[in-house]
Amino acid sequence: MTRAGYALLSLVLMLAGAPVVAHHSFAAHYDMQKPVTVQGTIAEVRLSNPHSWFFLDVKEADGTITRWSFEAGTPSGMIRNGYKASEMPKGSMVTISGFHGRDQAKKVGMMRQLTTADGKTYGMFGPQEGTGAR
Amino acid sequence: MQTFSTIAIAAAVTVAILASPLRAQQPEPAPRLADGKPDLSGVWWTGGDVGGRGYGGGRGRGGRGAPGGPPPPTFTGLYTPAAAAGAKKLGDNDDPTLKCIPTALGTLNVSMFDVGAVGQIVSTPKFVVMLTETFHGFRLIPTDGRPHRDDVPPSYRGDSVGRWEGDVFVVETKNFNDSTWMWAEGRVSPHSDQLRIVERYRRMDKNTLEIDATVHDPKVLTAPWAVPKQTLVLAPFDQIMPLICLGQ
Repeated sequence: MTRAGYALLSLVLMLAGAPVVAHHSFAAHYDMQKPVTVQGTIAEVRLSNPHSWFFLDVKEADGTITRWSFEAGTPSGMIRNGYKASEMPKGSMVTISGFHGRDQAKKVGMMRQLTTADGKTYGMFGPQEGTGAR
Repeated sequence: MQTFSTIAIAAAVTVAILASPLRAQQPEPAPRLADGKPDLSGVWWTGGDVGGRGYGGGRGRGGRGAPGGPPPPTFTGLYTPAAAAGAKKLGDNDDPTLKCIPTALGTLNVSMFDVGAVGQIVSTPKFVVMLTETFHGFRLIPTDGRPHRDDVPPSYRGDSVGRWEGDVFVVETKNFNDSTWMWAEGRVSPHSDQLRIVERYRRMDKNTLEIDATVHDPKVLTAPWAVPKQTLVLAPFDQIMPLICLGQ
């Protein structure tokens, strides 16, 4: 649970207005000094407890495919904020920006923003446009 | 002709009053149960979901003191010297919620939320049931005048009984163990097994729930802590979801 607990609590704090970098526990898993942006196709969106995950297939310069995993918000929050799985089918081209996991060897990050090919944006807790968005 | 004019003016004034914004803004009254007590039922939050429109998390966390004066004390600000010394030995990595252990109070100072930001109340003739989405918790609060249970061991969220004082629902919770902190997020806030929390819930109108609470813990506090008043809003849906704390 450790990562889940850290992140869950931190997200509440962070979105309550506290600086992202202020929370030691969240920073224990994601390096806020290591922003990362990758573009790729959606392999899977998993609305799992306690946090959602976005899995992305990223084409490297040599043509190989690397699978990235980005942790996002709670499934309940994403759903209530208006996220619909149909909006992001497998194979959709998206760009995700966030922070790299502290273990640089792993292609894991915390998602801060996802942008679709047609310009829609999603935050950690769902769409940034629409009825549930801020 | 004068009578007609008078009637016309009176009618116009009446229409204006009925259509006035002031009247339109009158909130609907709080619903009531069959016994006449306010019905606290509903899903309650701060106005939105975490990360979404209307979210007001953190509201009233520190409370406000008198204008120009110092801020009111927090729970940890009231520690005895011994309690403060004990807390100094702890760090945010000791936060019990990292092991899926709930808080004693709640990160946003709303016990119904625990570490999250939404909760649900179901009022019945015999119990008020408080359901917590994050960490999937619950409290069964009897309202039939029974005393605290004496057959259960101390627990993370304590044992609650409720009573009505007019339209205010008063909940007293005690028999906590000392394994939890008051808050999560790595905010060091241990308490003792003498913790006792008295909450006062008042449904101001259909859409508004106010909560005042006082925290007593004579083993670690120099005085009771008055929790900043929390004002919650009725959410536009009637079911919370499961949000279980699991390892990943």
